[in-house]
Amino acid sequence: MGHEFNFMFRSGLSEIPKYDAVFIRATTDPLYTAYVVSRTAWVLGLRVVDDPESIRICANKIHQYKLFEKYDVPHIPTLFLNKEEFHHRQIEEIFELFGKPVVIKAPYTSFSKYVEKVSCETSFREVAKRFFRRSDYIVVQRFMPSRFDWRVGVLNGEVLYVCKYMMPKGKWKHGVKRRGKPSFVWGRTVTLKRDNAPQRLKETALKACSVIGKGLYGVDIKEINGDYVVVEVNDNPSIYKDQEDLRDKDIYERIIKFLAE
Amino acid sequence: MIVLAILLLSGASCLLVVSNIPLKTDVPTTTPLAFLKSSFRGFVLNVNNDYRYMKTGYFVSLHAEILGNDVVPTTENAVDVYRPPILLTRAAKNGTPTAPFILTDSVKQIMAEFAFPVVVFPVNPFMFNVFQVAENRAALYRAVKSLSMNYRYAVCAQPLHGEILHVKSFFGECSIEDDGVRKIAKKVYETFKIPVCKLLLQRFDGEAYLCGLQPLKLEEILPSDVDMISKIVSWFSGKGWFD
Repeated sequence: MGHEFNFMFRSGLSEIPKYDAVFIRATTDPLYTAYVVSRTAWVLGLRVVDDPESIRICANKIHQYKLFEKYDVPHIPTLFLNKEEFHHRQIEEIFELFGKPVVIKAPYTSFSKYVEKVSCETSFREVAKRFFRRSDYIVVQRFMPSRFDWRVGVLNGEVLYVCKYMMPKGKWKHGVKRRGKPSFVWGRTVTLKRDNAPQRLKETALKACSVIGKGLYGVDIKEINGDYVVVEVNDNPSIYKDQEDLRDKDIYERIIKFLAE
Repeated sequence: MIVLAILLLSGASCLLVVSNIPLKTDVPTTTPLAFLKSSFRGFVLNVNNDYRYMKTGYFVSLHAEILGNDVVPTTENAVDVYRPPILLTRAAKNGTPTAPFILTDSVKQIMAEFAFPVVVFPVNPFMFNVFQVAENRAALYRAVKSLSMNYRYAVCAQPLHGEILHVKSFFGECSIEDDGVRKIAKKVYETFKIPVCKLLLQRFDGEAYLCGLQPLKLEEILPSDVDMISKIVSWFSGKGWFD
């Protein structure tokens, strides 16, 4: 397409002003270097994916679910729990409302990390205590098991790719840490042509992204009894060779066009 | 105080102060926890000692924004100010004298850019109220290794001339009798509108330069500071007085 690109690492960050656009492929969180890059590029007027606003919303699940509530985006039943109001009666009420187990998420969750399932008060307290170290609020959700989560890639309000993230055998989330080891087990990725994906699925994904922004997102959606509910919207979605890009080959062309516009 | 006046005119008719500091004011005031459960509509003034991302002060501004309210400070500014490279880039763009800086994880790059001594700030999710001064190469290696958490994150390095000054700033007002410092405090407030914070500055060649901004601990806010904040808040609401 006639464009040039360079890789930029931490030692080359002072060169941001030399470029026309920045495409971030690193963990994005407002407290990480990637956010500094995104914000600096944005302030300097460069095109940037992921833009700072998207990072702020996607990296903070509390922000994201509050927007879903405000704009009626169908999502998993969710509660927010404050550090100062964390007591026995509240945990009991949560179990009464959502049943057992429930899913606890740290607001800064990414790549299936900091999402845990708990079935009793002891493990609830143990997980919540860990997640409260970095955030004064955590997210509690109803446990909705499924064989796979839909993953819809969205760029600038259009569907980019659609696939199914299968759960590894006997597991409840796509990426699971091996017991006693630092490595993860990931489920298979089954890719569909975006034109063949269910229309209501794509509409749900686009509605969820519309409350966040116009960047590049990976929307996780569960299909429960024929209804689609949003699990979360991720910025900086994974795009691996022969996985997400298997059926629709124009993914990279569209991203480059968006950056070069 | 011009900035405050403009905000009041452009803001909503109804003002609510949300504060974790016990203010002495007649202005309607509530606690962060009570506000986070409310659906108040109007202008929100969030007075907190700490607006860091994911802390209660941040969630107050976020809640106000999601309700569709105007709020001081905004979540965008609350994130930006505690990241030294973003703080300095935006402050410099708005005409604030700032110290030169480099964002990197490379000691060699820092030494190539600046002469010793050098002050190093962390840019990671776990450290927020620290910095280290390196007088020589060995100290710089130690500082970068520690503040980058073993080279996992970048650091922000600046040349150091003299000492780092710590200045408490309340709505851009500070109690130091130095025109350069006062001007920076005002300018930083004008740019980011962080009501309560600690500014880190350097003074050299007769000029003051901004280096960083940190949250204040509650115990650092003295009774005289509470009086000062309360007076400004009262003035801000138009109901009280300011002298």
